[in-house]
Amino acid sequence: MQLFRSEVDVQAWSECTGQPIGACFELAKLWTLARTWYDDRLDLDWRRRNIAERQALLTAAGLTGPFWELG
Amino acid sequence: MTYSNSRADLRLAIYRQLAATGEVHTPASLAAEFEISPTEAAAELKLLASEDDAIVLLPDSPYIWMAEPFSAVATDYKVTAKDGRHWFGNCIWDALAIGALLDTETEVETRCPFSNEALTLSTNAGELSGSTSAVVQFAVPARDWWKSIGFS
Repeated sequence: MQLFRSEVDVQAWSECTGQPIGACFELAKLWTLARTWYDDRLDLDWRRRNIAERQALLTAAGLTGPFWELG
Repeated sequence: MTYSNSRADLRLAIYRQLAATGEVHTPASLAAEFEISPTEAAAELKLLASEDDAIVLLPDSPYIWMAEPFSAVATDYKVTAKDGRHWFGNCIWDALAIGALLDTETEVETRCPFSNEALTLSTNAGELSGSTSAVVQFAVPARDWWKSIGFS
C-alpha cells in the first residue's frame, strides 16, 4: 500500500521492478477508509471485525469489485 | 479479573502508550505494569497476535512489530502531531488513520517509491490537504492481505 506522485509513476515503477500494479486509485477513497477502519482500536472491548463488517467499510469508501472482495 | 479481560486490558495498554508517547511496550515493560512475569507477558503477547489477531509480532520473537495502524519500527510513513509526538504507519493507509484514530491534527511524510519526490499530507478532523493529487497503489488483492501482512 504505497503513495505515488502520479499514475505515470506507478506504471513506471511497475515496469522497472516487475511488481504488479494491482489497484491504483485516488487518495480521497483511502482517506475515507482510513477514518473508519481503525476507529475502535482504543476501545476496551475491541474485537477484530468480521469479514462482512470489513467488506462494508471497503464498500462505503467506494472500493468495490473483485480486487476488494475479502472472502 | 478474568483471563480474557486481562488480555483486553493489556491490548489497550499497548495502544494507549503508543498513542500518548509513540513508544511501544515490551514483555518486560508490560510485566512491570501488570505485575506479571516477563514470561507471562510474552505469552499474552503471543495470544494477542495468534488468538485475537490484535497485534503482529516480529518473526520468531515476543516483540511487537505492528499494533495497527501503528508500526513499532521505522517506516517510510512518518506521522507527526502538532505537539511533537510522532509515530510510524505500516503503510500510507495506516499513516492516514493515526490522526483519525487519535482525533488529532497530523502531518504525514512519505516519498514516491519511483520518483522519490517528497509527498506530505495534513490531516485535521475530516479534512485532508497537501499532496492530494498523489495516487494510492495496492499490489495485493484484499482476500490476500493477511497472508503476508508485512508485504501488504
